[in-house]
Amino acid sequence: MYALIKAEIFKLFRQGKTYYAIGALFSIEAIILLSAYFQGTNIIDLLLENLKQRFYFEGTLLNGNLLVYLILNTLWFHLPLILMIVVSGMLTAEYKDRTLQTIMLQPVSKWKFILSKYIVAIVFTLLVVLALALSSFGLSYFFFGKGDLVVYLNGLNFFDASDAYYRLRWSFVSGALSMVFFSVASLTIAILFKEAAKTWIVSAFFLILSNILLKVDFGDNWFNALFFAKLNDTWQYFFYYQINWEQIHFNSLLSIGYSLLFMGAGIYWFHRKDIG
Amino acid sequence: MLFSQVLLGNVFAQPVDPDLLKLKSRLDSIQSFTTQLTLSVDISFINMPVKKAQMMYTKGQKVKFSSGDFVMLPKRGLDFSLNSLLEYDFITVDRGMEMQDGKNCKVINIIPTDKRADFSIATVWMDTRLRRLVASEINTKKDGSYTVHFQYNQDQKVLPDKVTVNFEIEKIRIPINFMGKDTDIDRKKMRAAGSKTGAIYLTMSNYQIKTLL
Repeated sequence: MYALIKAEIFKLFRQGKTYYAIGALFSIEAIILLSAYFQGTNIIDLLLENLKQRFYFEGTLLNGNLLVYLILNTLWFHLPLILMIVVSGMLTAEYKDRTLQTIMLQPVSKWKFILSKYIVAIVFTLLVVLALALSSFGLSYFFFGKGDLVVYLNGLNFFDASDAYYRLRWSFVSGALSMVFFSVASLTIAILFKEAAKTWIVSAFFLILSNILLKVDFGDNWFNALFFAKLNDTWQYFFYYQINWEQIHFNSLLSIGYSLLFMGAGIYWFHRKDIG
Repeated sequence: MLFSQVLLGNVFAQPVDPDLLKLKSRLDSIQSFTTQLTLSVDISFINMPVKKAQMMYTKGQKVKFSSGDFVMLPKRGLDFSLNSLLEYDFITVDRGMEMQDGKNCKVINIIPTDKRADFSIATVWMDTRLRRLVASEINTKKDGSYTVHFQYNQDQKVLPDKVTVNFEIEKIRIPINFMGKDTDIDRKKMRAAGSKTGAIYLTMSNYQIKTLL
């Protein structure tokens, strides 16, 4: 099993698309920082327009914490999409290159093989989120400094710099769980569809559908509380003025549960299917 | 009276309330002051922790603030010198006595006669015995109306220890999908709410006052 995991890590970091994906991710981050540098003041002005009639403002809201928050918003679409492409490629490339048949001719257990892919996919996802967090904190604080954070969520919520840092860190942790779910789902989709193009289209559709369903109100019932698409905004819960830890814990456990469910289903299907 | 008018820098067409002039004269004896401000905001759609700032006043200059945090300071209510109300020519109307914040106060309307004034009418409640301001209501030309209440810890003080500024404020308009999750339910609630009232509570401490000897 350990050898399989090592082999999967080797393959992942040998393939060029992994680096293209990471490059794309950090390009998005750089674009967000650059656009904030040139347009950030206008955005803040727009946000506080009505308040300006009544108040003077002392201090600036265009600071590193706001920038990290803007980068965090890539968790909605950009980051999961990139992760899904890379992670699903871990299996579709093996189908395409027919290396899968070669591996299966060896004395390798099918479930151990696919489980090692899931494990490496999860570790890779966590590493990417960690790299994103470190780079966004580092670059944002270096270029824009620290300061109070303003977020529009059920009104305007202002957080002190230290409180903002605390919330942003936790939201990266929570966001990582959501990203793991999408990575795991994309690998399961790859097991089902095998072909890269089909897998990417279905994965992108899955992501878009999840984002659309997140905004659909199914009413105050168990389905609304338990549906997987409703869990992907859990990282945003850290930006309500009062943090609802109970809800965050519940959603996080449920998200881990869904990831395990998708992973279990993927392993089952891979085990049952013929390699060909 | 003439001395007070010269102090104010204006020559009024109509007589100005003598108690207001006495108060202004007392305030004008303050050359400068600094104080530590603690601000707490009470606006339904704003959640903000208690903030601290330093307030610096020098006679003849605009009040300055400094803070390590981001702070929102009301445009009205922090002019303890009354300069913004008495900057241009005005007339006063005596409205008699009225109870305000448990004190029997003299009520005066200040009506600017110069178009440059940024308010249409102001009402001030004065404690004539202690020669200080208890409350004011300012109807501005552009920014709606403000009500300001002043509280003092000691009888001899002319600068307040606590100030409450009440105002009307329009709901905020945020571009769709800007800065976080956009929930339809919240927007409906915001639309229905219309304009709201808000308040800012300011507590002053550690006054460093320089007065005319």
